[in-house]
Amino acid sequence: MNLVIIGLNHCSAPVAIRERVAFPRAQLGAATCELLGAAPVAEVAILSTCNRVEIYALAADAGQATQALRRYLHSYHKLTESIDAHLYERHNRDCIAHLLNVVCGLDSMVLGETEILGQVKDAYAAAQTAGATGAALNRLFQKAFAAAKHIRTATAITRGSTSVANVAVELAEKIFRDLTQSTVMVIGTGAMSEATAKALRSRGAGSILVCGRDRERSGALAGQLGGRAIHYDDWPVEFPKVDIVISATASPHPIVTREKLVPLMKERHQRPLFLIDIGVPRDIETACDELENVYVYNMDDMQQIAKENLAAREREIAICRELIAERVTRLAEWLEERYK
Amino acid sequence: MTDRYFLWMAFIFYVGASALTLWRLRNNRSQSSLHHINVILIVVGFLMQLVGLILRGQNLHRCPLTNPFEVTVFIVWALVLFYLVIGPSYRVSFLGAFTAPVVTLILLTGLLTASDAPHAPVLKHSPWVEFHAGIGILACGAFALAFVVAAMDLVQNRQLKSHHPSPTFRLLPSVEQLDIIGVRLLMLGFILLTVGMIGGVISDKLVEAWPWQKVAWAWTTWLVYAALLAARTIGNWRGRKASAATMTAFVFLLSAYWGTSWLVR
Repeated sequence: MNLVIIGLNHCSAPVAIRERVAFPRAQLGAATCELLGAAPVAEVAILSTCNRVEIYALAADAGQATQALRRYLHSYHKLTESIDAHLYERHNRDCIAHLLNVVCGLDSMVLGETEILGQVKDAYAAAQTAGATGAALNRLFQKAFAAAKHIRTATAITRGSTSVANVAVELAEKIFRDLTQSTVMVIGTGAMSEATAKALRSRGAGSILVCGRDRERSGALAGQLGGRAIHYDDWPVEFPKVDIVISATASPHPIVTREKLVPLMKERHQRPLFLIDIGVPRDIETACDELENVYVYNMDDMQQIAKENLAAREREIAICRELIAERVTRLAEWLEERYK
Repeated sequence: MTDRYFLWMAFIFYVGASALTLWRLRNNRSQSSLHHINVILIVVGFLMQLVGLILRGQNLHRCPLTNPFEVTVFIVWALVLFYLVIGPSYRVSFLGAFTAPVVTLILLTGLLTASDAPHAPVLKHSPWVEFHAGIGILACGAFALAFVVAAMDLVQNRQLKSHHPSPTFRLLPSVEQLDIIGVRLLMLGFILLTVGMIGGVISDKLVEAWPWQKVAWAWTTWLVYAALLAARTIGNWRGRKASAATMTAFVFLLSAYWGTSWLVR
């Protein structure tokens, strides 16, 4: 018996192809059952995310099985032209290594991302529910989950945010005791300020105030974030209650200055204040950062941190691969022993 | 086996915990297994120290607080006690890791330099004297842990202000949390110190007049901490300067104690 995988991912296929072969989550179980009848495979599981579609299978004849899986992908998605050029295949040892790399986030678009583990777990659960897994795939997936857990704790592959919005959240969590008690103010609407506010909201930021010159736009963003829109001219009134400020205005001069901040800090009893400056030219005077309990970060700072975090993750790849190699050897030996 | 044997054993366990801390900081490791090893090393050190203090107490037939060496060892023990009680309730990551080196340093200073004159009791045997000394030592333990928390706050503030935080930044708690814990420890220490001072005033009247150097040290320490606490609570003093002042106050407490003990001797 052979373990095989056939699939495509963000490296092998553009999004135009990936979106055409993706399996809707609700149909995973039915598609898995159908595959058991359509291809000469004993066990099968389908993994489908926005960045990859992969079919894992156990088959007596690897060649025949992969041909059938290719045909199935084309017919299931009613593809008129061939996507064979975008598909990759892995067998036995390479198949095991591939899955372990995938669950550990080493094969992801964002190196070390952790969402993939949940997605693989969902795929495995769907296959299990459909009765499509047996001794081989059960062991393969369970060992892969254990490996991912171990590698997450033993290495720094998942540590440090690699996007600007998440870097801002990470910094906020190291300034404030409890984000749910924090008030966020977004001054000026834009893609970056929206993404940062959303990231803070997703981590439980207490309340959000959106202020912009365009009332309609700020109202819409406030609605999306479950916050409150205020008029641009009112931001200094609300400022003393705010803990985190995301500023992204088109103002030619700094709107928050040291001079304005000194009395405001007194008013807020010197509680910490996190100022995120996304504006170009900058909205927050550099001298504000000299004040005690005031933390000013601009785009360059946060991009640099994200870059350094990514570099740190890249340095962990070799350790991860070593840890994975040990497990691949053990699993490959088990597979050989069981099906010899 | 003598009490000193157990105290040196405790020191070795604290050195182990400190070495683990440095390794973790250097390699940016925050696994819970390593945290547990750190706590175990500190707990074993704490128990060794407790055995050492009990043996010494049995030997003296009184609470072993008769000379600077014993007081220093007791302060370290109280610091670890507060860490073990407060650490889990606040779930402060890396508090144990920062406590271990401080404990190691103070204990080593005590073991190597503090006067340990066995037959020269400075204090008379009286419940008031022992109450005063015991509560005073517990206050020092709380101030010592406030020192550790302030050191963590300084490191974390430095990381945040640098704009390029190192991986250590991820291991430490938020500055706001450290500030809150620091103030609470100062409050607790100050209450204990005040109660201990009342015990001292009573023992001064009823048992024996204290040497004036000791009295001056005690009142100066009380005033320093009263001012610090007022500044941090009423005056909303937070951040790096507040943490630096908290650390300075504890260094003053220890050095002034050692200094006055030397003068009294």
